[in-house]
Amino acid sequence: MKLRAGFFDFTGCEGCQLTVLNLEDAFFDLAGLIDVVEFREVLTGGGGPLDVAFVEGSICGPHEEARLKDVRRRSRLLVALGACADTTGVNALARFRDPEDLNGRVYGPGAPPRGGGRPKPVSAVVPVDARVPGCPVDGGEFLQVLQALAVGRAPNLPGHAVCVECKLAELPCVFDRGEVCLGPIVRAGCGARCPEGGDRCRGCRGLVDNPRSTPYYRILEDHGLTEDDVLAEFRLFNLGEGKVR
Amino acid sequence: MADRRVLPEPLWLPATEVEIHRLVRAAMTAYEVVGARERRGRLTMDRLDDPSDLLLSYPPRVHSPKKFLFPNWEKLFRFRLGGRVQLEAEHTAVPRVLFGLHPCDLHAVRILDDCLFDGQADSAYRAKREASILVGVDCEPDDHCFCTSLGTDRVADGFDLFLHRDADRYLVQVGTARGRSFLERFAPAVAARQGAPPLPLQPKKTRKRLARPAEALVGLLEAGYEHPIWTEIGDRCLGCGTCTLLCPSCYCFTVEDRLHLDLEGGERVRAWDSCQFDQFAQLSGGGEARANQADRQRHRFFRKYKYLWERYHRTACVGCGRCSRECLAGIDPVDVLNRLLAEQDEAAPAPAPGREYQPDLAEVVVAEPLGAGVKRLRLRLPRVPAFAPGTFVSVSVFGLGEAPFTIASGPGDDTHVELAVRAAGNLSRALHRLEPGDTVGVRGPFGNGFPVDELAGQDVLLVAGGLGLVILRSLLLAVLSRRREFGRVVLLYGAASPDAFLFRDDLRRWRQDGVIDVRLIVDGSDGGWCGPHGDVTRLLRNLDLDFPRTVAAVSGPADMYRFTNPLLTGLGISPERIFLNLERRMKCGLGKCGKCRINDLCVCEEGPVLRYSQVRHLREAVER
Repeated sequence: MKLRAGFFDFTGCEGCQLTVLNLEDAFFDLAGLIDVVEFREVLTGGGGPLDVAFVEGSICGPHEEARLKDVRRRSRLLVALGACADTTGVNALARFRDPEDLNGRVYGPGAPPRGGGRPKPVSAVVPVDARVPGCPVDGGEFLQVLQALAVGRAPNLPGHAVCVECKLAELPCVFDRGEVCLGPIVRAGCGARCPEGGDRCRGCRGLVDNPRSTPYYRILEDHGLTEDDVLAEFRLFNLGEGKVR
Repeated sequence: MADRRVLPEPLWLPATEVEIHRLVRAAMTAYEVVGARERRGRLTMDRLDDPSDLLLSYPPRVHSPKKFLFPNWEKLFRFRLGGRVQLEAEHTAVPRVLFGLHPCDLHAVRILDDCLFDGQADSAYRAKREASILVGVDCEPDDHCFCTSLGTDRVADGFDLFLHRDADRYLVQVGTARGRSFLERFAPAVAARQGAPPLPLQPKKTRKRLARPAEALVGLLEAGYEHPIWTEIGDRCLGCGTCTLLCPSCYCFTVEDRLHLDLEGGERVRAWDSCQFDQFAQLSGGGEARANQADRQRHRFFRKYKYLWERYHRTACVGCGRCSRECLAGIDPVDVLNRLLAEQDEAAPAPAPGREYQPDLAEVVVAEPLGAGVKRLRLRLPRVPAFAPGTFVSVSVFGLGEAPFTIASGPGDDTHVELAVRAAGNLSRALHRLEPGDTVGVRGPFGNGFPVDELAGQDVLLVAGGLGLVILRSLLLAVLSRRREFGRVVLLYGAASPDAFLFRDDLRRWRQDGVIDVRLIVDGSDGGWCGPHGDVTRLLRNLDLDFPRTVAAVSGPADMYRFTNPLLTGLGISPERIFLNLERRMKCGLGKCGKCRINDLCVCEEGPVLRYSQVRHLREAVER
């Protein structure tokens, strides 16, 4: 019994959909699990009832809200795919700019307003059944979530922090390099890809369920960060979460 | 194949560094060889592709052998769905050499053995353990290591081979028969070499140290379950689990199914879990047994230093320092335990073992002859001694020993006590050689003396023979310090010769002042003595005391008592009111050694001053 699945893009870079399309090795197996009936990047048509809808991007303005509500109405399950959909991701940064000024900077001076409004996470508009966090999503994790839905199991995201995956990969701690890292409070599942590549964790997967904020702030302060620095560090990916609804 | 029996005779074989690398290369033909190596600029414990990658000298911060003996994501079995369910066992373990394990990590393997072989042995672990040859190598502790506090800085067994650096070569210590055949097979030249004498291994030095031996931690934690320190470190803890993941002996795990994407099959795997994670101790009805980080950190400490100690008599911590080295919050077990230990000491200072046997040092202030081979020593103690007349101190001359001496001075002499010492044995002769300014050891005062308060309001009769005056002088000085509270005070004092009277100046003064009635007698004849002759009992004849309200204090040679006791009771002094000095060779002064026991009576605790009524029934009391 295959799932009828659709992919929907809202305000975002479509990188998460691309990640899915890059899973060529798994396509055969995927084809056994789902029938993709709607996917603007690869298919035309659609509009019927769905077992599962994967929604990518943040929700900006009444048009997108209406479209999302339509998708929700005809889908048994709805999954927020990627940081923009899950937590508003980098789109939340728009909140610090005047919308008209931002519109002009992006689309040129005097460009007609797009009427996007403030970007929101999907969960601020409709109920969400499952999430695939990350910017972009991890292909393997997407498959696991999909598989869980196919066998009727609630998908579970790792409850522990990125630190765990960093230690398992035997990576030296980013703090040892004199940089700060959001790894101690951000949800694992990415395999500590950014520290592995020499960067720090910037928190694209959102916070763990129970982040130990107080000890973490103390550690940031010990490393000489001001409150503004701490906020700036969080702002990139973790502004929208739980605050927009 | 897994002959992990320890060799009966230790074997130490010299080998060069080149030979060691050649051994690794040869072993790679039959084994997967794992060791410390650099990979993309960082140190890891990993599979070697090139023997020259192996580092034999590396800092203690790479992963422990747990990574290979008890790996994260270990398949337990495979299952096939599609039709009838089929279960398939996992493949057998890869033959592997873990090359270059530090002593602490070899100790950690033993902890894993304890835990995982206990009860029904964990066969997945056992398979890897048996397929793995363990080769140890020596290390240099860093600032986080505290192996020296747990005795894990050296390792005597638990390895197949151990490489000791010895100047420009290695000494290969062969631990097991398996290690020997491994060496014979892959480094025959080394195996055939003449054995060298074992290296004398010095204990290592670490900057971090526990303030007490590991044995002290069980009781410490037992008493510290509710200590606020757990909340303190809980408030600092990020719950990231780094401490347990990196711990070489932490092995708690979770079991999950990994389903293949085609849903045709999958495997059941176990993955490392951590008591520091949310939901680790989940309860079936909701909630968690250890719901906050304070509970979880406490659990970690209790497990490491108490629970597993109680079970296997080994701490489950090897002092490798990985947890504190990598903890962002700086939670360091040594700091935590030392703080608890320091507070425990403050609350109830634990005496150093043997402390009660360790004397205070006292200075000799006066050392003068008293005549008849007896010397008066006046000692200054470090503090004012509290004692009743009739008690004793134990005096040490270091190197010769310790002996008891009854105190000759009265209480209330500031920090001083006086002794009258007759040169009889080695120790007392050494005391005779002391000069003012010399130091002796003093313990005590010990024992039970005269109940001076009980004597008040009565007539006091003192009967002294020879050196027996010493203890009665102490009583007399106490009585004289509050003379008006007593009735008549009579001292009867017998000596072998006129020279033998001790404390003559005191006797003369007391006589002259008329504060007490002093009557002396000399046993035997001597031309120079114009007083009475005979033993001291003669002086008991013409006493005009009110005997029913008289107390007697008797001190002298054992024979003397046998005559005086019946005479005194005959005069009408009841046995409860006759106090005898029954001093013995009181060795410990603490009621323990048993040397001063008279039947069931312990002289150093209940005496040396005892009522006649207390001892008259004791067969062993020669004085009765």
